[in-house]
Amino acid sequence: MNNTLLWYSTRGAGAVSLVLLSAVVVLGILNVHRFETAGWPRFLTQGLHRNVSLLALVFLGVHIVTAVVDPFTSLGWLAAIVPFSSYYRTFWLGLGVVAFELLLAITVSSLIRRQIGLRVWRAIHWLAYGCWPVAAAHGLGTGTDSGQLWMWLVVGGCVGAVGFSVAARLLLPPRDPLSEPRGDFRQRVTRGPSR
Amino acid sequence: MLGLLEAAGLTGRGGASFPTASKWRAVAERAGGDAVVIANGAEGEPLSRKDAMLMEKRPHLVIDGALIAAESVGAGRAILYAGQEHRRAVLAMRRAIRERPSFERGRLELVEAPKSYIAGEESAAVHFLNQGVAAPTAIPPRPFESGVGGRPTLVQNVETLAQAALIARGRPAGSLLLTLGGAVARPGVVEVPIGATVAEVLELSGRHGQPRAVLMGGYFGGWVGFEEASSMTLDPHRLRAAGGSLGCGVVWVLQENADAVGATARVMARLASESAAQCGPCFFGLRSLADACARIASRLPQANDLHNLRHWSDMVQGRGACKHPDGAVTFLRSALRLFEAEFAAAARAA
Repeated sequence: MNNTLLWYSTRGAGAVSLVLLSAVVVLGILNVHRFETAGWPRFLTQGLHRNVSLLALVFLGVHIVTAVVDPFTSLGWLAAIVPFSSYYRTFWLGLGVVAFELLLAITVSSLIRRQIGLRVWRAIHWLAYGCWPVAAAHGLGTGTDSGQLWMWLVVGGCVGAVGFSVAARLLLPPRDPLSEPRGDFRQRVTRGPSR
Repeated sequence: MLGLLEAAGLTGRGGASFPTASKWRAVAERAGGDAVVIANGAEGEPLSRKDAMLMEKRPHLVIDGALIAAESVGAGRAILYAGQEHRRAVLAMRRAIRERPSFERGRLELVEAPKSYIAGEESAAVHFLNQGVAAPTAIPPRPFESGVGGRPTLVQNVETLAQAALIARGRPAGSLLLTLGGAVARPGVVEVPIGATVAEVLELSGRHGQPRAVLMGGYFGGWVGFEEASSMTLDPHRLRAAGGSLGCGVVWVLQENADAVGATARVMARLASESAAQCGPCFFGLRSLADACARIASRLPQANDLHNLRHWSDMVQGRGACKHPDGAVTFLRSALRLFEAEFAAAARAA
């Protein structure tokens, strides 16, 4: 009975993690586009992006720990740390490990952004675009519920939301209300050709 | 040289009063002989003239300091970065470089800084020398880690370098340059011994009516009541211990019957217009603060203006890539504290 509980927890936490990670990606892109309406101020997007990502880490923690300690799977901790080292579904499970480690890098670099500088942080943050598809592929490839209709709906919703946001990110130039005054300022302080 | 600086207790005269020896050591530790020294004479602070005056009257002392700094930190080049609006200072520096022997001349370069409040901010100076844009950049890396051409770079105010040159000659670092202005009989640059009081300095320059308050340190400094300012000792270490700062050495006097709210609003308007428009909280925040100040000063306040000045100051603080917004709200808070009654009366005027 205990085993079944762990097994259900692994599956449930995995599905929730995918939903939360999708929300984090969508919020991150909304943030880049400085989305706001009268009822949705910008700090809400920023705060949600930050806090939902931490919440996703919690669910991922549950997902991983319950999977590893489940005596039925006997995966071992090494399989949760070293990608593609698991005897069980080596490839698909390995994708999950890769996604988790990318997410850790993205989160830790954000927490120490002041120390590492904006440029390094930004380069690492771009890994999010690699992390999310890998996580989604892991869910579809190894998920016990991936054949179920409800799971298809969940995954479909996530793919749709992220796909739509990424398309918007690519097609719409990010709104930058500072571009005009910044241009004016730069004109004032930029070295002329005379020097 | 580092030991001499340390013993003399020399601190930076650009505004931050950072211990000079520590700064030089940080660059020296990273440099393998390929560091760069920037003698910072951009002096964008509207109330300050002391760097321009020093470069104009004692250009060789500044160059001596820059070369000594280059020698000490292991730099092959020293760039003299002088504000282009300080024409006489630029000409004097140019002439002085020509007068140096060729082995020194080869290591010196004069670059004119664009006229802008933040052109002298150290990352802006480095950005200008690298890419020709005098706007601050995100830190890290700080200039001492990666500056001009990616090399460790010492950005040091010209007065600090001149003091270092005097220390190298065995003279104690016993003096400060101040720019006196506002309601004084003889405004201008004065050299005073460290430890003089503001009252003594103002006595020298001739009082001009009954002063109300003193703006210490310029636009990035703060208002101090005249009584309190009079007894202040002009000593970077003691001021720092007392929670104040010498800033860039501006002592600007506001007369008894002057419009303190209006004077504050004018400074805020200037600081807002000097935002590089790179960080939203700085650009929009300072503009909102300046507009609210202007409405209060013109006795046409909106309902929450006074409350918002405090509230928005908290929101802006620490949210810029550089310290421009922080300097502006430090100044504003000093005004709200000292001129609390005037602000309250003006904000009720509607």
